[in-house]
Amino acid sequence: MSGDTLGALGLSIRVAVLATLLNALLGIPLAYLLARRPFRGRALVDLLVTLPLVLPPTVTGYYLIVLLGRRGWLGAPVYAWTGWSVAFTWYAAVIAATVMALPLLVRTARAAIESVDRELEKAAFTLGRSEWRTALEVTLPLAKNGIIAGLVLAFARALGEFGATLMLAGNIPGKTTTVPLAIYTAVQTGEMGEAVLLVVALTILSCVVLMVAGHLGARAT
Amino acid sequence: MSHRFSVEITKRLPEFTLDVAWSAGDGVAVLFGPSGAGKTLTLQCLAGLIRPDAGRIVVDGRVLFDSAAGVDLPPQHRRVGYVFQGYALFPHLTVGQNVAFGLRDRPRAERQARAAEVMERLGLGGLEHRRPGELSGGQRQRVALGRALAIDPALLLLDEPLSALDAPLRRSLRDELRTILSGWGTAAVLVTHDFTEAYQLADRIVIYEGGQVIQSAPRAELLWQPASEAVARIMGLRNVLHGTVVKAMPDRIQIAWRGLMLEAVNSPTRSYLPPPESPIAFFIRPEYVRLIRKDRGSPDAAHHMNLMRGRIVGESDFGTVWSLRLRLDAPGAPAQGDFDLEVEVPRLVYEILEIERDRHWEFSIHRGSIHVLPT
Repeated sequence: MSGDTLGALGLSIRVAVLATLLNALLGIPLAYLLARRPFRGRALVDLLVTLPLVLPPTVTGYYLIVLLGRRGWLGAPVYAWTGWSVAFTWYAAVIAATVMALPLLVRTARAAIESVDRELEKAAFTLGRSEWRTALEVTLPLAKNGIIAGLVLAFARALGEFGATLMLAGNIPGKTTTVPLAIYTAVQTGEMGEAVLLVVALTILSCVVLMVAGHLGARAT
Repeated sequence: MSHRFSVEITKRLPEFTLDVAWSAGDGVAVLFGPSGAGKTLTLQCLAGLIRPDAGRIVVDGRVLFDSAAGVDLPPQHRRVGYVFQGYALFPHLTVGQNVAFGLRDRPRAERQARAAEVMERLGLGGLEHRRPGELSGGQRQRVALGRALAIDPALLLLDEPLSALDAPLRRSLRDELRTILSGWGTAAVLVTHDFTEAYQLADRIVIYEGGQVIQSAPRAELLWQPASEAVARIMGLRNVLHGTVVKAMPDRIQIAWRGLMLEAVNSPTRSYLPPPESPIAFFIRPEYVRLIRKDRGSPDAAHHMNLMRGRIVGESDFGTVWSLRLRLDAPGAPAQGDFDLEVEVPRLVYEILEIERDRHWEFSIHRGSIHVLPT
Protein backbone atom coordinates (compact mmCIF):
# COMPACT_ATOMS: atom_id res chain seq x y z
CA MET A 1 0.00 0.00 0.00
CA SER A 2 1.50 3.33 -1.02
CA GLY A 3 1.84 6.33 1.26
CA ASP A 4 -0.79 8.19 -0.72
CA THR A 5 -3.27 5.35 -0.27
CA LEU A 6 -2.76 5.28 3.48
CA GLY A 7 -2.94 9.08 3.52
CA ALA A 8 -6.26 9.02 1.65
CA LEU A 9 -7.66 6.54 4.14
CA GLY A 10 -6.51 8.60 7.12
CA LEU A 11 -7.85 11.81 5.59
CA SER A 12 -11.21 10.23 4.81
CA ILE A 13 -11.64 9.04 8.38
CA ARG A 14 -10.56 12.41 9.77
CA VAL A 15 -12.92 14.27 7.44
CA ALA A 16 -15.84 11.94 8.18
CA VAL A 17 -15.34 12.11 11.96
CA LEU A 18 -15.09 15.90 11.97
CA ALA A 19 -18.04 16.26 9.60
CA THR A 20 -20.10 13.98 11.87
CA LEU A 21 -19.14 16.04 14.92
CA LEU A 22 -20.11 19.24 13.13
CA ASN A 23 -23.33 17.54 12.10
CA ALA A 24 -24.10 16.69 15.70
CA LEU A 25 -23.37 20.24 16.83
CA LEU A 26 -25.42 21.90 14.08
CA GLY A 27 -27.89 19.22 13.12
CA ILE A 28 -29.35 18.14 16.47
CA PRO A 29 -30.31 21.66 17.60
CA LEU A 30 -31.57 22.38 14.09
CA ALA A 31 -33.65 19.19 14.08
CA TYR A 32 -35.10 20.15 17.48
CA LEU A 33 -35.99 23.65 16.31
CA LEU A 34 -37.59 22.35 13.12
CA ALA A 35 -39.55 19.73 15.05
CA ARG A 36 -40.69 21.77 18.03
CA ARG A 37 -40.39 25.50 17.46
CA PRO A 38 -42.48 27.21 14.84
CA PHE A 39 -40.25 30.15 13.90
CA ARG A 40 -40.29 32.61 11.02
CA GLY A 41 -38.43 31.28 8.01
CA ARG A 42 -38.71 27.68 9.17
CA ALA A 43 -39.79 26.53 5.71
CA LEU A 44 -36.79 28.30 4.15
CA VAL A 45 -34.32 26.75 6.60
CA ASP A 46 -35.88 23.34 6.00
CA LEU A 47 -35.53 23.84 2.24
CA LEU A 48 -31.88 24.98 2.43
CA VAL A 49 -30.89 22.07 4.68
CA THR A 50 -32.65 19.53 2.50
CA LEU A 51 -31.48 20.80 -0.90
CA PRO A 52 -28.11 18.95 -0.91
CA LEU A 53 -30.09 15.72 -0.68
CA VAL A 54 -31.79 16.29 -4.02
CA LEU A 55 -29.31 18.47 -5.94
CA PRO A 56 -26.46 16.80 -7.80
CA PRO A 57 -23.42 17.01 -5.48
CA THR A 58 -21.53 19.02 -8.07
CA VAL A 59 -24.27 21.67 -7.97
CA THR A 60 -24.02 21.84 -4.18
CA GLY A 61 -20.26 22.06 -4.62
CA TYR A 62 -20.69 24.88 -7.07
CA TYR A 63 -22.79 26.82 -4.56
CA LEU A 64 -20.15 26.20 -1.94
CA ILE A 65 -17.54 27.71 -4.27
CA VAL A 66 -19.81 30.70 -4.88
CA LEU A 67 -20.09 31.11 -1.12
CA LEU A 68 -16.62 30.16 0.13
CA GLY A 69 -14.28 30.32 -2.89
CA ARG A 70 -11.52 32.87 -3.11
CA ARG A 71 -13.93 35.19 -4.94
CA GLY A 72 -17.02 33.95 -3.07
CA TRP A 73 -19.51 36.01 -1.04
CA LEU A 74 -17.89 34.96 2.21
CA GLY A 75 -14.58 33.76 0.82
CA ALA A 76 -13.57 37.05 -0.83
CA PRO A 77 -13.69 39.18 2.34
CA VAL A 78 -11.87 36.43 4.27
CA TYR A 79 -9.22 36.26 1.54
CA ALA A 80 -8.87 40.05 1.46
CA TRP A 81 -8.46 40.11 5.22
CA THR A 82 -6.17 37.14 5.80
CA GLY A 83 -4.80 36.12 2.41
CA TRP A 84 -6.12 32.64 3.10
CA SER A 85 -8.94 30.72 1.46
CA VAL A 86 -10.58 27.56 2.64
CA ALA A 87 -10.96 26.32 -0.93
CA PHE A 88 -8.58 23.50 -1.87
CA THR A 89 -7.65 22.74 1.75
CA TRP A 90 -8.71 19.63 3.66
CA TYR A 91 -11.02 21.88 5.71
CA ALA A 92 -12.97 22.35 2.51
CA ALA A 93 -13.46 18.59 2.37
CA VAL A 94 -14.86 18.70 5.91
CA ILE A 95 -17.24 21.54 4.96
CA ALA A 96 -18.40 19.77 1.81
CA ALA A 97 -18.96 16.51 3.69
CA THR A 98 -20.81 18.34 6.49
CA VAL A 99 -23.19 20.09 4.12
CA MET A 100 -23.85 16.91 2.18
CA ALA A 101 -24.49 14.85 5.29
CA LEU A 102 -26.55 17.41 7.21
CA PRO A 103 -29.93 16.67 5.56
CA LEU A 104 -29.63 12.99 6.45
CA LEU A 105 -29.08 13.71 10.14
CA VAL A 106 -31.59 16.55 10.34
CA ARG A 107 -34.37 14.62 8.64
CA THR A 108 -33.84 11.45 10.67
CA ALA A 109 -33.40 13.26 13.99
CA ARG A 110 -36.34 15.55 13.31
CA ALA A 111 -38.65 12.62 12.65
CA ALA A 112 -37.45 10.97 15.87
CA ILE A 113 -38.01 14.16 17.89
CA GLU A 114 -41.44 14.68 16.36
CA SER A 115 -42.44 11.18 17.40
CA VAL A 116 -41.75 11.90 21.08
CA ASP A 117 -45.10 12.22 22.88
CA ARG A 118 -45.67 15.90 23.57
CA GLU A 119 -47.53 15.06 26.76
CA LEU A 120 -44.17 13.95 28.20
CA GLU A 121 -42.81 17.43 27.54
CA LYS A 122 -45.91 19.03 29.03
CA ALA A 123 -45.52 16.80 32.09
CA ALA A 124 -41.93 18.03 32.45
CA PHE A 125 -43.12 21.65 32.21
CA THR A 126 -45.65 21.15 35.01
CA LEU A 127 -42.85 19.57 37.06
CA GLY A 128 -40.79 22.74 36.81
CA ARG A 129 -38.52 22.06 33.85
CA SER A 130 -37.74 24.82 31.37
CA GLU A 131 -38.04 24.01 27.68
CA TRP A 132 -34.26 23.79 27.45
CA ARG A 133 -33.96 21.32 30.35
CA THR A 134 -36.95 19.36 29.01
CA ALA A 135 -35.21 18.99 25.65
CA LEU A 136 -32.04 17.73 27.34
CA GLU A 137 -33.70 15.44 29.88
CA VAL A 138 -36.78 14.18 28.08
CA THR A 139 -37.05 14.86 24.35
CA LEU A 140 -33.51 14.16 23.15
CA PRO A 141 -32.95 11.05 25.32
CA LEU A 142 -36.21 9.61 23.97
CA ALA A 143 -35.20 10.46 20.40
CA LYS A 144 -31.76 8.93 20.97
CA ASN A 145 -32.16 5.97 18.61
CA GLY A 146 -33.24 8.16 15.74
CA ILE A 147 -30.45 10.61 16.40
CA ILE A 148 -27.84 7.84 16.48
CA ALA A 149 -29.23 6.42 13.26
CA GLY A 150 -29.00 9.90 11.72
CA LEU A 151 -25.38 10.28 12.85
CA VAL A 152 -24.49 6.92 11.33
CA LEU A 153 -26.06 7.92 8.04
CA ALA A 154 -24.23 11.23 8.22
CA PHE A 155 -20.91 9.51 8.88
CA ALA A 156 -21.44 7.11 5.98
CA ARG A 157 -22.41 9.95 3.68
CA ALA A 158 -19.37 12.00 4.74
CA LEU A 159 -17.08 9.02 4.20
CA GLY A 160 -18.33 8.53 0.66
CA GLU A 161 -18.65 12.17 -0.37
CA PHE A 162 -17.24 12.79 -3.84
CA GLY A 163 -18.80 15.50 -6.00
CA ALA A 164 -19.02 18.47 -3.66
CA THR A 165 -15.60 17.64 -2.19
CA LEU A 166 -14.05 17.59 -5.65
CA MET A 167 -15.57 21.00 -6.42
CA LEU A 168 -14.55 22.80 -3.25
CA ALA A 169 -11.47 20.94 -2.09
CA GLY A 170 -10.13 19.67 -5.37
CA ASN A 171 -8.18 16.45 -5.75
CA ILE A 172 -4.72 17.28 -4.45
CA PRO A 173 -2.86 14.03 -3.65
CA GLY A 174 -1.75 13.87 -0.05
CA LYS A 175 -3.73 17.01 0.76
CA THR A 176 -7.39 16.80 -0.24
CA THR A 177 -7.62 13.40 -1.91
CA THR A 178 -10.09 11.37 0.13
CA VAL A 179 -10.70 7.68 -0.53
CA PRO A 180 -13.52 8.14 -3.06
CA LEU A 181 -11.37 10.60 -5.00
CA ALA A 182 -8.36 8.30 -4.76
CA ILE A 183 -10.43 5.40 -6.12
CA TYR A 184 -11.57 7.56 -9.03
CA THR A 185 -8.00 8.65 -9.75
CA ALA A 186 -6.66 5.10 -9.49
CA VAL A 187 -9.23 3.78 -11.95
CA GLN A 188 -8.59 6.69 -14.33
CA THR A 189 -4.86 5.98 -14.34
CA GLY A 190 -5.30 2.23 -14.58
CA GLU A 191 -3.94 1.39 -11.12
CA MET A 192 -6.52 -1.31 -10.49
CA GLY A 193 -4.71 -2.88 -7.53
CA GLU A 194 -4.76 0.43 -5.71
CA ALA A 195 -8.46 0.89 -6.53
CA VAL A 196 -9.43 -2.59 -5.29
CA LEU A 197 -7.51 -2.06 -2.07
CA LEU A 198 -9.34 1.19 -1.34
CA VAL A 199 -12.72 -0.24 -2.34
CA VAL A 200 -12.23 -3.14 0.07
CA ALA A 201 -11.02 -0.82 2.84
CA LEU A 202 -14.00 1.49 2.46
CA THR A 203 -16.42 -1.44 2.37
CA ILE A 204 -14.96 -2.93 5.56
CA LEU A 205 -15.03 0.46 7.27
CA SER A 206 -18.67 0.96 6.32
CA CYS A 207 -19.58 -2.50 7.61
CA VAL A 208 -17.84 -1.81 10.93
CA VAL A 209 -19.71 1.49 11.30
CA LEU A 210 -23.04 -0.19 10.61
CA MET A 211 -22.31 -2.95 13.11
CA VAL A 212 -21.28 -0.51 15.83
CA ALA A 213 -24.41 1.54 15.13
CA GLY A 214 -26.58 -1.55 15.30
CA HIS A 215 -24.99 -2.46 18.63
CA LEU A 216 -25.57 1.03 20.02
CA GLY A 217 -29.16 0.99 18.79
CA ALA A 218 -29.82 -2.38 20.40
CA ARG A 219 -28.39 -1.19 23.72
CA ALA A 220 -30.45 1.98 23.65
CA THR A 221 -33.81 0.19 23.45
CA MET B 1 -68.67 27.59 50.82
CA SER B 2 -65.05 28.68 50.91
CA HIS B 3 -63.80 29.12 47.38
CA ARG B 4 -60.42 27.52 47.31
CA PHE B 5 -60.08 28.18 43.63
CA SER B 6 -62.00 29.90 40.88
CA VAL B 7 -61.78 29.60 37.14
CA GLU B 8 -62.95 32.03 34.51
CA ILE B 9 -61.76 31.25 31.01
CA THR B 10 -62.52 32.23 27.46
CA LYS B 11 -60.62 30.49 24.70
CA ARG B 12 -61.55 30.65 21.03
CA LEU B 13 -60.33 27.86 18.80
CA PRO B 14 -61.10 27.56 15.07
CA GLU B 15 -64.09 25.24 15.54
CA PHE B 16 -64.79 25.60 19.23
CA THR B 17 -65.19 28.22 21.92
CA LEU B 18 -64.61 27.55 25.58
CA ASP B 19 -66.35 30.02 27.85
CA VAL B 20 -66.64 28.83 31.43
CA ALA B 21 -66.73 30.21 34.95
CA TRP B 22 -66.94 28.08 38.06
CA SER B 23 -65.39 27.77 41.48
CA ALA B 24 -64.83 25.02 44.01
CA GLY B 25 -63.80 24.51 47.58
CA ASP B 26 -61.69 21.81 49.17
CA GLY B 27 -61.90 18.31 47.83
CA VAL B 28 -62.45 17.03 44.33
CA ALA B 29 -64.24 18.94 41.60
CA VAL B 30 -65.18 16.70 38.70
CA LEU B 31 -65.62 18.14 35.23
CA PHE B 32 -68.22 15.92 33.64
CA GLY B 33 -69.64 15.97 30.14
CA PRO B 34 -69.41 14.45 26.68
CA SER B 35 -66.13 14.26 24.78
CA GLY B 36 -65.21 17.52 23.12
CA ALA B 37 -67.03 19.68 25.68
CA GLY B 38 -63.86 21.52 26.71
CA LYS B 39 -62.96 19.63 29.90
CA THR B 40 -59.36 18.78 29.00
CA LEU B 41 -58.89 22.23 27.48
CA THR B 42 -59.87 23.67 30.87
CA LEU B 43 -57.27 21.51 32.61
CA GLN B 44 -54.60 22.65 30.18
CA CYS B 45 -55.51 26.27 30.82
CA LEU B 46 -55.30 25.63 34.58
CA ALA B 47 -51.86 24.07 34.17
CA GLY B 48 -50.65 26.90 31.96
CA LEU B 49 -50.08 24.62 28.96
CA ILE B 50 -52.59 26.60 26.91
CA ARG B 51 -53.11 30.32 27.22
CA PRO B 52 -56.74 31.46 27.46
CA ASP B 53 -57.79 34.50 25.42
CA ALA B 54 -59.23 36.09 28.51
CA GLY B 55 -60.17 35.33 32.07
CA ARG B 56 -58.79 34.81 35.53
CA ILE B 57 -57.58 31.74 37.43
CA VAL B 58 -57.04 31.96 41.18
CA VAL B 59 -55.88 29.08 43.38
CA ASP B 60 -55.67 29.55 47.16
CA GLY B 61 -55.59 33.30 46.69
CA ARG B 62 -52.69 33.03 44.24
CA VAL B 63 -53.41 34.51 40.80
CA LEU B 64 -52.15 32.09 38.14
CA PHE B 65 -53.69 33.92 35.23
CA ASP B 66 -55.38 37.26 34.85
CA SER B 67 -55.69 38.67 31.35
CA ALA B 68 -56.77 42.09 32.63
CA ALA B 69 -53.73 42.41 34.92
CA GLY B 70 -51.37 40.78 32.41
CA VAL B 71 -50.57 37.86 34.74
CA ASP B 72 -49.74 34.53 33.12
CA LEU B 73 -47.56 32.25 35.23
CA PRO B 74 -45.72 29.66 33.13
CA PRO B 75 -46.54 26.01 33.94
CA GLN B 76 -43.15 25.70 35.67
CA HIS B 77 -44.20 28.20 38.33
CA ARG B 78 -47.84 27.27 38.90
CA ARG B 79 -47.30 24.37 41.32
CA VAL B 80 -50.12 22.51 39.62
CA GLY B 81 -49.76 18.73 39.44
CA TYR B 82 -51.04 17.11 36.26
CA VAL B 83 -51.94 13.44 35.86
CA PHE B 84 -52.27 12.95 32.12
CA GLN B 85 -54.79 10.63 30.49
CA GLY B 86 -52.13 8.14 29.41
CA TYR B 87 -50.12 9.03 32.56
CA ALA B 88 -47.20 10.40 30.46
CA LEU B 89 -44.58 8.66 32.59
CA PHE B 90 -41.02 9.15 31.37
CA PRO B 91 -40.26 5.75 29.83
CA HIS B 92 -36.49 6.21 29.96
CA LEU B 93 -36.46 6.89 33.71
CA THR B 94 -37.06 4.56 36.64
CA VAL B 95 -40.09 4.81 38.92
CA GLY B 96 -37.93 6.57 41.51
CA GLN B 97 -36.62 9.07 38.98
CA ASN B 98 -40.12 9.70 37.71
CA VAL B 99 -41.46 10.44 41.18
CA ALA B 100 -38.46 12.65 42.02
CA PHE B 101 -38.55 14.47 38.67
CA GLY B 102 -40.26 17.58 40.00
CA LEU B 103 -37.92 17.89 43.00
CA ARG B 104 -34.79 18.86 41.11
CA ASP B 105 -34.30 22.20 42.82
CA ARG B 106 -34.15 20.61 46.29
CA PRO B 107 -31.03 19.24 47.97
CA ARG B 108 -30.26 15.66 47.07
CA ALA B 109 -31.01 14.19 50.51
CA GLU B 110 -34.34 15.98 50.77
CA ARG B 111 -35.23 14.94 47.25
CA GLN B 112 -34.62 11.28 48.00
CA ALA B 113 -36.46 11.43 51.30
CA ARG B 114 -39.49 13.08 49.72
CA ALA B 115 -39.60 10.63 46.80
CA ALA B 116 -39.28 7.67 49.20
CA GLU B 117 -42.05 9.05 51.40
CA VAL B 118 -44.40 9.53 48.46
CA MET B 119 -43.70 6.06 47.08
CA GLU B 120 -44.22 4.52 50.49
CA ARG B 121 -47.57 6.25 50.95
CA LEU B 122 -48.74 5.12 47.53
CA GLY B 123 -47.61 1.54 48.01
CA LEU B 124 -44.85 1.80 45.43
CA GLY B 125 -42.08 0.70 47.77
CA GLY B 126 -39.75 -1.78 46.12
CA LEU B 127 -40.54 -0.55 42.61
CA GLU B 128 -38.01 2.34 42.62
CA HIS B 129 -35.74 0.75 40.04
CA ARG B 130 -38.41 -0.49 37.66
CA ARG B 131 -39.20 1.25 34.41
CA PRO B 132 -42.78 2.39 33.67
CA GLY B 133 -42.97 -0.20 30.89
CA GLU B 134 -42.64 -3.00 33.46
CA LEU B 135 -45.56 -1.84 35.62
CA SER B 136 -49.23 -2.82 35.69
CA GLY B 137 -51.89 -0.26 34.82
CA GLY B 138 -52.70 0.37 38.47
CA GLN B 139 -49.06 0.85 39.41
CA ARG B 140 -48.58 3.28 36.55
CA GLN B 141 -51.52 5.31 37.76
CA ARG B 142 -49.99 5.49 41.22
CA VAL B 143 -46.60 6.53 39.83
CA ALA B 144 -48.29 9.30 37.85
CA LEU B 145 -50.14 10.39 40.99
CA GLY B 146 -46.96 10.20 43.03
CA ARG B 147 -44.99 12.25 40.54
CA ALA B 148 -47.65 14.97 40.58
CA LEU B 149 -48.15 14.86 44.37
CA ALA B 150 -44.42 14.88 45.19
CA ILE B 151 -44.17 18.59 44.32
CA ASP B 152 -46.86 19.25 46.95
CA PRO B 153 -49.14 20.92 44.40
CA ALA B 154 -51.61 23.65 45.25
CA LEU B 155 -53.96 21.98 42.81
CA LEU B 156 -53.97 18.49 41.33
CA LEU B 157 -55.39 17.92 37.84
CA LEU B 158 -56.43 14.47 36.64
CA ASP B 159 -57.47 13.87 33.03
CA GLU B 160 -59.59 10.72 32.75
CA PRO B 161 -57.30 8.92 35.20
CA LEU B 162 -59.12 5.60 34.88
CA SER B 163 -59.83 5.46 31.17
CA ALA B 164 -56.59 3.63 30.36
CA LEU B 165 -57.63 0.67 32.51
CA ASP B 166 -59.73 -2.45 31.98
CA ALA B 167 -63.25 -2.45 33.40
CA PRO B 168 -62.68 -4.70 36.48
CA LEU B 169 -59.52 -2.79 37.43
CA ARG B 170 -61.28 0.54 36.91
CA ARG B 171 -63.71 -0.18 39.66
CA SER B 172 -61.18 -1.10 42.32
CA LEU B 173 -58.88 1.76 41.30
CA ARG B 174 -61.78 4.16 41.55
CA ASP B 175 -62.06 3.32 45.25
CA GLU B 176 -58.31 3.52 45.63
CA LEU B 177 -58.16 6.89 43.89
CA ARG B 178 -60.92 8.22 46.12
CA THR B 179 -58.98 7.13 49.20
CA ILE B 180 -55.72 8.65 47.94
CA LEU B 181 -57.34 11.95 47.02
CA SER B 182 -59.11 12.35 50.35
CA GLY B 183 -56.02 11.14 52.20
CA TRP B 184 -53.73 13.75 50.65
CA GLY B 185 -56.29 16.50 51.01
CA THR B 186 -55.05 18.28 47.91
CA ALA B 187 -57.68 20.23 46.04
CA ALA B 188 -58.19 18.38 42.79
CA VAL B 189 -59.94 18.78 39.44
CA LEU B 190 -60.76 15.53 37.69
CA VAL B 191 -62.13 15.06 34.18
CA THR B 192 -64.35 12.16 33.23
CA HIS B 193 -67.24 11.30 30.94
CA ASP B 194 -68.46 8.40 33.10
CA PHE B 195 -71.15 9.55 35.50
CA THR B 196 -70.68 6.75 38.02
CA GLU B 197 -67.01 7.68 38.19
CA ALA B 198 -67.86 11.37 38.47
CA TYR B 199 -70.33 10.80 41.27
CA GLN B 200 -68.09 8.50 43.26
CA LEU B 201 -65.00 10.70 43.09
CA ALA B 202 -66.58 14.13 43.30
CA ASP B 203 -67.40 16.52 46.05
CA ARG B 204 -68.62 18.96 43.43
CA ILE B 205 -69.63 18.17 39.86
CA VAL B 206 -69.29 20.74 37.08
CA ILE B 207 -71.25 19.77 33.98
CA TYR B 208 -69.77 20.76 30.63
CA GLU B 209 -71.52 20.89 27.32
CA GLY B 210 -70.30 22.50 24.10
CA GLY B 211 -67.67 24.62 25.84
CA GLN B 212 -70.01 25.91 28.55
CA VAL B 213 -70.88 25.00 32.12
CA ILE B 214 -74.54 24.11 32.39
CA GLN B 215 -74.50 23.24 36.10
CA SER B 216 -72.04 23.29 38.96
CA ALA B 217 -73.26 21.80 42.23
CA PRO B 218 -72.36 19.51 45.11
CA ARG B 219 -72.76 15.94 43.89
CA ALA B 220 -75.88 15.07 45.88
CA GLU B 221 -77.67 18.21 44.76
CA LEU B 222 -76.78 17.41 41.19
CA LEU B 223 -78.05 13.86 41.47
CA TRP B 224 -81.45 14.86 42.86
CA GLN B 225 -81.90 18.29 41.35
CA PRO B 226 -80.41 18.53 37.88
CA ALA B 227 -80.76 22.14 36.82
CA SER B 228 -82.20 21.46 33.39
CA GLU B 229 -83.24 18.89 30.86
CA ALA B 230 -79.83 19.23 29.18
CA VAL B 231 -78.10 18.29 32.44
CA ALA B 232 -80.45 15.33 32.90
CA ARG B 233 -79.66 14.05 29.41
CA ILE B 234 -75.90 14.43 29.85
CA MET B 235 -76.14 12.56 33.14
CA GLY B 236 -77.82 9.78 31.19
CA LEU B 237 -81.03 9.92 33.24
CA ARG B 238 -83.83 7.77 31.93
CA ASN B 239 -87.53 8.62 31.72
CA VAL B 240 -86.96 12.29 30.89
CA LEU B 241 -90.55 13.24 30.02
CA HIS B 242 -92.57 16.24 28.90
CA GLY B 243 -95.95 17.33 30.26
CA THR B 244 -98.01 20.44 30.84
CA VAL B 245 -98.23 22.41 34.05
CA VAL B 246 -101.68 22.31 35.64
CA LYS B 247 -100.82 24.14 38.83
CA ALA B 248 -97.52 25.04 40.44
CA MET B 249 -97.18 25.72 44.16
CA PRO B 250 -93.99 26.20 46.19
CA ASP B 251 -94.13 22.61 47.51
CA ARG B 252 -96.12 20.79 44.79
CA ILE B 253 -96.53 20.84 41.04
CA GLN B 254 -99.40 19.21 39.21
CA ILE B 255 -98.52 17.98 35.74
CA ALA B 256 -100.76 16.68 32.97
CA TRP B 257 -99.06 13.83 31.13
CA ARG B 258 -100.45 11.10 28.89
CA GLY B 259 -103.99 11.81 30.07
CA LEU B 260 -102.94 11.48 33.71
CA MET B 261 -102.63 14.09 36.41
CA LEU B 262 -99.29 13.61 38.11
CA GLU B 263 -98.39 15.23 41.35
CA ALA B 264 -94.73 16.05 41.94
CA VAL B 265 -92.81 17.64 44.78
CA ASN B 266 -91.54 21.11 43.98
CA SER B 267 -88.37 22.41 45.51
CA PRO B 268 -89.14 25.39 47.79
CA THR B 269 -85.47 26.45 47.63
CA ARG B 270 -85.63 26.68 43.86
CA SER B 271 -88.98 28.47 43.84
CA TYR B 272 -89.74 27.30 40.33
CA LEU B 273 -93.32 28.37 39.63
CA PRO B 274 -94.16 28.06 35.93
CA PRO B 275 -97.61 29.37 34.93
CA PRO B 276 -100.40 26.88 34.14
CA GLU B 277 -100.46 25.44 30.60
CA SER B 278 -96.70 25.92 30.15
CA PRO B 279 -94.69 22.91 29.00
CA ILE B 280 -92.61 21.22 31.67
CA ALA B 281 -89.90 18.56 31.68
CA PHE B 282 -89.45 16.04 34.48
CA PHE B 283 -87.82 12.71 35.09
CA ILE B 284 -88.70 9.56 36.97
CA ARG B 285 -85.99 7.17 38.14
CA PRO B 286 -86.84 3.68 36.85
CA GLU B 287 -86.07 2.08 40.24
CA TYR B 288 -88.56 4.36 42.01
CA VAL B 289 -91.61 3.20 40.06
CA ARG B 290 -93.55 0.77 42.27
CA LEU B 291 -95.42 -2.27 41.05
CA ILE B 292 -98.66 -2.84 42.93
CA ARG B 293 -99.15 -6.40 44.13
CA LYS B 294 -102.39 -7.97 43.01
CA ASP B 295 -102.78 -10.14 46.11
CA ARG B 296 -103.02 -7.25 48.61
CA GLY B 297 -106.40 -5.76 47.70
CA SER B 298 -106.88 -2.37 46.11
CA PRO B 299 -104.06 0.18 46.59
CA ASP B 300 -104.61 2.63 49.40
CA ALA B 301 -104.15 6.31 48.68
CA ALA B 302 -101.83 6.92 51.63
CA HIS B 303 -99.15 4.66 50.18
CA HIS B 304 -99.81 4.87 46.51
CA MET B 305 -100.15 8.03 44.51
CA ASN B 306 -99.85 8.80 40.82
CA LEU B 307 -101.48 5.50 39.93
CA MET B 308 -101.32 4.22 36.38
CA ARG B 309 -102.00 1.03 34.48
CA GLY B 310 -100.03 -0.45 31.69
CA ARG B 311 -98.68 -3.37 29.79
CA ILE B 312 -95.09 -4.54 29.65
CA VAL B 313 -94.04 -4.29 26.02
CA GLY B 314 -90.35 -5.03 26.43
CA GLU B 315 -87.77 -6.05 28.99
CA SER B 316 -84.04 -6.50 29.48
CA ASP B 317 -82.29 -8.77 31.95
CA PHE B 318 -79.38 -7.01 33.68
CA GLY B 319 -78.65 -9.92 35.96
CA THR B 320 -79.60 -8.62 39.37
CA VAL B 321 -82.30 -6.32 38.05
CA TRP B 322 -84.83 -6.43 35.25
CA SER B 323 -85.62 -3.37 33.22
CA LEU B 324 -89.22 -3.31 32.02
CA ARG B 325 -90.64 -1.07 29.31
CA LEU B 326 -94.15 -0.11 30.16
CA ARG B 327 -96.86 1.16 27.84
CA LEU B 328 -99.77 2.89 29.54
CA ASP B 329 -103.33 1.89 28.79
CA ALA B 330 -104.14 5.53 28.09
CA PRO B 331 -104.88 6.33 24.43
CA GLY B 332 -102.41 8.38 22.38
CA ALA B 333 -98.81 7.98 21.28
CA PRO B 334 -96.40 6.58 23.89
CA ALA B 335 -93.96 9.08 25.40
CA GLN B 336 -90.73 7.29 24.48
CA GLY B 337 -91.18 5.66 21.10
CA ASP B 338 -93.09 2.42 21.69
CA PHE B 339 -93.24 2.75 25.48
CA ASP B 340 -94.03 5.33 28.15
CA LEU B 341 -91.90 4.45 31.15
CA GLU B 342 -88.84 2.42 31.93
CA VAL B 343 -89.23 0.57 35.21
CA GLU B 344 -86.58 -1.33 37.11
CA VAL B 345 -87.39 -4.21 39.45
CA PRO B 346 -85.02 -6.43 41.44
CA ARG B 347 -84.68 -9.93 40.08
CA LEU B 348 -86.29 -11.40 43.21
CA VAL B 349 -89.41 -9.26 42.71
CA TYR B 350 -89.50 -10.23 39.06
CA GLU B 351 -89.52 -13.90 40.02
CA ILE B 352 -91.91 -13.74 42.98
CA LEU B 353 -94.52 -11.75 41.06
CA GLU B 354 -94.05 -13.98 38.01
CA ILE B 355 -93.72 -10.97 35.75
CA GLU B 356 -92.54 -13.19 32.96
CA ARG B 357 -96.05 -14.62 32.75
CA ASP B 358 -98.13 -11.70 33.94
CA ARG B 359 -97.72 -8.64 31.69
CA HIS B 360 -100.44 -6.25 32.82
CA TRP B 361 -99.81 -4.24 36.00
CA GLU B 362 -100.78 -1.28 38.04
CA PHE B 363 -97.98 1.09 39.05
CA SER B 364 -97.56 4.00 41.41
CA ILE B 365 -94.96 6.73 41.72
CA HIS B 366 -94.45 8.69 44.91
CA ARG B 367 -94.62 12.43 44.32
CA GLY B 368 -91.10 12.74 45.71
CA SER B 369 -89.84 10.52 42.91
CA ILE B 370 -91.02 12.78 40.11
CA HIS B 371 -88.31 15.37 39.63
CA VAL B 372 -89.09 18.58 37.86
CA LEU B 373 -86.50 19.97 35.43
CA PRO B 374 -86.67 23.78 35.24
CA THR B 375 -86.26 25.36 31.84
